[in-house]
Amino acid sequence: MDRLLLLEEQGRLSGNPTNRTLRKIAANPLAIIGLVLFLILLLACMAAPLISTYGPNAIDLRNRLSPPSRAHLLGTDQIGRDIFSRILYGGRISIFVGLGSALGAALIGVSLGTYAGYRRGALDALVMKVSEIMMSFPQIILVSILVTIVGQSLWNLLLIFILTGWPSMYRMARSQMLSIREMEYIQALQAFGIGSFTISFKHMLVNAVGPIFVNITLSTAMFILQEAALSFLGLGVPLEQATWGNILNVAQDLNILRGAWWVWLPVGLVITLFVMAINFIGDGLRDAADPTQVG
Amino acid sequence: MELMPGDAVDFMIPPDALATISQAELDLLRSELGLDAPFLVRYGTWLVNLVQGDFGYSLQSGVAVSTLLANTLPATLELSLAALVLSTLFGSILGVVSALYKGRLSDNVLTVMGMIGVAIPQFLFGLIMIVVFVFKLGWFPVGGRLTVGNEAFLQRLDHLILPSVVLALSMTAGVMRYCRSSMLDSLNKEFIKTARSKGLPPWRVNLVHGLRVAMTPVAVLIGFRLPMLIGGSVVIEQVFQWPGVGQMFVSAVRSQNTPIVMMVAFFSVLIVLIASILVDIATALLDPRVKLS
Amino acid sequence: MQHEPILTVDDLCVNFYTNQRCNKALRNVSFSLSKGRTLCLVGESGCGKSVTANAIMQLLPSLSRIEQGTITYHAQEGAVHIERLSRNAREMRRLRGEDIAMIFQDPMTALNPVFSVGFQIDEMILNHTNLSKKKARERSVELLKQMGVPLPEQRAGEYPHQYSGGMRQRAMIAMAMACDPKILIADEPTTALDVTIQAQIFALMHALKEQKETSILLITHDMGVVCEMADDVAVMYMGNIVERGSVVQVMGCPAHPYTRALLASIPVLGKGKEQSLEPIRGTTPDPFDRPKGCQFAPRCDFATQECHKAMPDEQIIDQDGHMVRCFNYKELMNERQA
Repeated sequence: MDRLLLLEEQGRLSGNPTNRTLRKIAANPLAIIGLVLFLILLLACMAAPLISTYGPNAIDLRNRLSPPSRAHLLGTDQIGRDIFSRILYGGRISIFVGLGSALGAALIGVSLGTYAGYRRGALDALVMKVSEIMMSFPQIILVSILVTIVGQSLWNLLLIFILTGWPSMYRMARSQMLSIREMEYIQALQAFGIGSFTISFKHMLVNAVGPIFVNITLSTAMFILQEAALSFLGLGVPLEQATWGNILNVAQDLNILRGAWWVWLPVGLVITLFVMAINFIGDGLRDAADPTQVG
Repeated sequence: MELMPGDAVDFMIPPDALATISQAELDLLRSELGLDAPFLVRYGTWLVNLVQGDFGYSLQSGVAVSTLLANTLPATLELSLAALVLSTLFGSILGVVSALYKGRLSDNVLTVMGMIGVAIPQFLFGLIMIVVFVFKLGWFPVGGRLTVGNEAFLQRLDHLILPSVVLALSMTAGVMRYCRSSMLDSLNKEFIKTARSKGLPPWRVNLVHGLRVAMTPVAVLIGFRLPMLIGGSVVIEQVFQWPGVGQMFVSAVRSQNTPIVMMVAFFSVLIVLIASILVDIATALLDPRVKLS
Repeated sequence: MQHEPILTVDDLCVNFYTNQRCNKALRNVSFSLSKGRTLCLVGESGCGKSVTANAIMQLLPSLSRIEQGTITYHAQEGAVHIERLSRNAREMRRLRGEDIAMIFQDPMTALNPVFSVGFQIDEMILNHTNLSKKKARERSVELLKQMGVPLPEQRAGEYPHQYSGGMRQRAMIAMAMACDPKILIADEPTTALDVTIQAQIFALMHALKEQKETSILLITHDMGVVCEMADDVAVMYMGNIVERGSVVQVMGCPAHPYTRALLASIPVLGKGKEQSLEPIRGTTPDPFDRPKGCQFAPRCDFATQECHKAMPDEQIIDQDGHMVRCFNYKELMNERQA
């Protein structure tokens, strides 16, 4: 506290609001770590062809289940595929599924929530009911059923995630709208005769952007974990395509679990680190946007 | 499921037998199982049967679904309740500790541990636990619910511990975070200042006034955890070979065993509904301002 | 005419450290609360009145501290230097409730909603005395009765949300007075209540003062309340006490431009729509961006060059202890008499 007192008396602390936000971000080391980690993993996966020397599906039956070595940074799996490459290429798909589903769900959920939340009425009630029904299923069960109906494929999974993910986005956007619409400037806009479409999207949505972004980041994390769990069970992306969850699928075999840690442990760690990084970023965003946080 | 090409019969008959069985026999099997009727009729029949208490029969084994459920439900309930108790207990205690020592080392450590707990895939944690505690240390048996001959609860305990701890993990992290923020909210309220102005010792201010008010939203949270438990048990039961509803569900999905899948889905929704009713009751009991309607 | 002081605050400075900034909330605050008298601390919102009360009770938030000054409680056994006591130590906790008690602005949020009113009053009693639970409850019921709560036995078991606003405040006063404290600090006790209830509460407080010789530190922003309840007045602006004295001195003959402006801006009931209201021009400055010199200078009609350079010191205008912080008070007082 004495340090602050000294600084204040020297007049060094300004009232500049950008300064303050920057200072808050800088004071949040976890968010920075998260951002760095996230970028490293993302770029590594995107640059997979440049970094890895093997293809993700290149089979080498002479080198099955070999531990990490100079030739194979993380060893090989039970049919000789290089684990390191599979993690990098798999990451592309897993991140794509996670981020894509989150953005897709956000697109549908937020649009519906914004418009329906502002207008209320029959549309709102209907969508609300639908979302309630969908949210009352435990996610995995709902997703599993849908997977068996439409079949297993990457795009199907994306669609299913979006389908199961939009209700919570909708709910969140809607509750934001409900509180914003009571504010006076909205009534002023109505008095000016501005159309509801413009009001809800142009004026109200901008204020709700903060929590929406936080939600998107956290949803991405959730979808990545879900894809991993589903692929582990064999119900996710088809096993021919490498994803982080698929690589873990073989860990159901107790022998591999016991004897070949390099097949499943590194992938697991990568998933954990990536999800953690996203959570750090999400928390950092939430803290930075929250005016009640003390510096 | 009803919309998929091919159906349970195709799945039931192994491929090599398909070559020898005639089309007529396949059709006969289908009509016996009621699979030849159009979709709406089948759905309608299912609903009618449901209301009458007839849950249908497994397409694979012919055993009544109700029997299958009765066999597997206790196992899942045992696992879920154990996880619920563990996560609630530890989550609440750690959350309160974290809030009371906010900003200090213990809070930071707990927060980071919580973040790891939320990020790690549940099944991965299960796998790691198995490697460490079963293979390396040999403390616990490798899976299943019991070893033949040791059926009493206390003897079964070593089978239960690992899966329930793993299932509880990510929930504990969630409860801990929520409890922490609820406690911090509660400690910020005006009546805390009043309590201090009465000269009450800090422990009483925090743990009697603060905690009591903080607990209401946390109790509500418990109700919402039930659906998560169902979802989580699907994966955990697979990892630990726990003979519960989750495991049955997964194999039913794989083999397109419609009656089982429908029944499990139906029950899970039922449990969620029951959970939300329990939540309402709990809120009314804990907060004198709320009245049950 | 000197009155026996029971609480003396001298040169108190309190700083708040939040959001990476330092806010000097209280600056060189000095006043004295006399035995059996009511001192009103008046000022706009945000001027530091509540901070003063919290400092006395050592209830300041964790990111703040008393930088300098003394708070002396003149107990029977001797002087107690409150500023030296640590916040949660036994000595301070004993003072709270037994010697100095506080009531707050909004009784709905100040009372814990999940415990019954009786429980909360019992708690106060049980904390400071050796009475049994049963005896404590009897005393609580008795207190509620004294404070004018009807059906006290039944009411003791009820929850705060079941009380009306005025009753809640009575219950809070009952709780505060449970151990017969010498000093009662009331932080805007009636701001959240209807005017008619306001009158009742003040009558209650006045009766307490008379019967138990309780000294009252009454914090308010309402000049009407001051005229009604105060024996002594201290006017606060932006963390400074700008004028201090008996109610006759300050209200009858205000020496500080701010006091004068406050009195002029109050509508008087009965004067009708045509009375001229003179609001104080300008707005209170941002505490993080304060003007140099006298804090009131930018809004003051009497401001001179001197006023913008430095904060005036305390000046005693007559032997009765009427104090003012102004370079130009003489000019103001002459203008009044003219």
